[in-house]
Parts: sequence; C-alpha cells; structure tokens
Amino acid sequence: MHPILEEFCDKWVWPTMPGAPGAEFRLKITHEQCLKGWELLLERNLRDIEEELTRTDEGWKRDHALRGYAAEGVHMSIKQMSAQLLSVDIGEQENYIDLQRMRARQIWDECKHSKLHADVLLGKGWVKYERELMDIAQANVQPLPAYFGLSMMFPHIHPLARAAQNYYTEANACLGIMAYIKLVDDPLVVHEHLSQRDEELMHFMEGKFQLDFYCTTPEIQRHVEDALGYLLHQIGGFGRSPQPSAVKP
Amino acid sequence: MSLKVDHARCTECRMCYIVCRELDINAVYVALEPLHRIEIDLDACTYPGCTACLMYCPAEGSIVEAATGRSMVPPPPEAWQA
Repeated sequence: MHPILEEFCDKWVWPTMPGAPGAEFRLKITHEQCLKGWELLLERNLRDIEEELTRTDEGWKRDHALRGYAAEGVHMSIKQMSAQLLSVDIGEQENYIDLQRMRARQIWDECKHSKLHADVLLGKGWVKYERELMDIAQANVQPLPAYFGLSMMFPHIHPLARAAQNYYTEANACLGIMAYIKLVDDPLVVHEHLSQRDEELMHFMEGKFQLDFYCTTPEIQRHVEDALGYLLHQIGGFGRSPQPSAVKP
Repeated sequence: MSLKVDHARCTECRMCYIVCRELDINAVYVALEPLHRIEIDLDACTYPGCTACLMYCPAEGSIVEAATGRSMVPPPPEAWQA
C-alpha cells in the first residue's frame, strides 16, 4: 500500500466507533472494493503530478484549475448536490433530517472549491475576472458521468446509495489533495488544495457516518454496493457494470 | 476525563453534533452566542464511555482532552480499539 494511502487509512478509515451497526459492512466494502480503487487512482494522480512537474511551463496548473472549475463550478455544484438532496422525498425527510443538512452544507463547500480554482487562474493572470471563465469551454465541461448525482440520480434513487460516493469518491479527493500538497510547492496550488482539505475529509466522513449508522440491512447495503460497483466500473473495469438493482420493484 | 473543542482548529462542520444527536446523547450543542460555535456539554458527554464524535471529526486536533490538551483527532487507538 502506498504510504499516502496507508496514512489516510490509519488516520481516517480504520478508526471505527465501537458498536456502530453498519461498520462491519463498511469495512467489508473497504477491503474488498475501495482499497483497489483508491490505490489505482492515487497511483494515477502521482504519475500525473510527476509528469506535470517535469514541464518547463505552468500550463498544467492552468489546465488543472480549469478542470477543477468545471467539476466544482457553482452551477455544477448545485446540480450535483441537488441530486443528493432530492433523493430524499418529503415523506422521508424526518428520517434523514441531519443527513440533509450535511448535504446542504456540501453545496456551499463545492461552490467554494470552484472559487479556489478561480483563485489560481486569477493569481497567475490567466484571467482578469472570474466571469471570463463562463466563455471558456474547458472550465465548464467535465467528463465524470458519475460525479455526485446527474447520471447517478436516475439509476440509484435510494437516499443512501450516495453513501458510496461520499465514502469512496471523496476519499479519492482527499488522497489527491494529500499528493498535491506533498509534491507541489507553488503557493497558489497549495492554497487550491489545502483550503479544500478538511472539507473533502468532512464529505468522506459523511459517507463513513451514513455507512456506519444507516446502512445496516441487506436491502440498503445492496443499493450502496450497486453505486460503488458503478463508480469502480468507471475507473478500472473491476467494479460491476451498471446493473442497478435499485430499478427493480 | 472530558473533551473540549479547540476552536483554532475546528471547522464548524458539525459532524460531531450530528453523530451525538444520532446517538441521542446530545452533548454537543451550538452555543447561544453570535458565532454559533460548537461546544461540548460536560454534564451530558459520556466520554470516555462514548468516543463516537472522534471517529467522524475531519479536522485534525479540533477535539482535545480538556485536562491535558491532548489531541483526540484522529482518534488514538485506545479510543476505538478494545
């Protein structure tokens, strides 16, 4: 296991509340599925960073910030998080009221992250005003079909299916941030990542909490495994192809 | 032994508040002051009997042992291992 992943797991994944009803399931999917995905994406991230650092110009920092803006822009953030919020209908609200508050808070976090990417572009002089980004396609188009909602909201409509995204996907964000902070010393790039660090970790903790507290029956766990299989299928083909049981009656 | 929040490190994400409510302990509360910061009610908190808030806090060093100032985030092994 890469030392960055090992540090992340030792600090945040393995510590488990004694008696947490869904913890056994969380640790099972961690060992059987998540670790493979985290390791693979961390290796890709590190390779990308090392390649970027060999370049003589700063174009990669611009590309990185534009990609980040596309993934976490205000409009995108509202859409992706709305998919999560709307997966709980009004009749079920009483069961998930604090979970909904967590998700609502995440809208602000994601919107703020896009500002951090804009800070790099502004600070480096690549744009003069943030509004210029609205005319740059690269800042508005991203290729992640399962990115927190959107395509996910249709096949996986169970309110807790997204625990897989909070837990698995946000861990990838945390690992990427750890890698960038470790390897890149540009103050603006560090700002871009460091200012997201605790928030992405909070989003991961949202997933850990949902899995430990709510995902306690085979029926709910099946939805989480479906969503996780879909996410893993996206990156390496070792997850299950999308055959969501959520659509079955 | 009791816990307190280190406001220099806490990000006010409220994960501890949510977990504590979920367990119906309700020791973590939002203070009635303009900043609405998270605090821990020592009369209600059952630490070290319960260590749940420590398992979901994402801000390193933000919950400490009141007497010693020792950081409990990320949680040390004795907080979660039997």
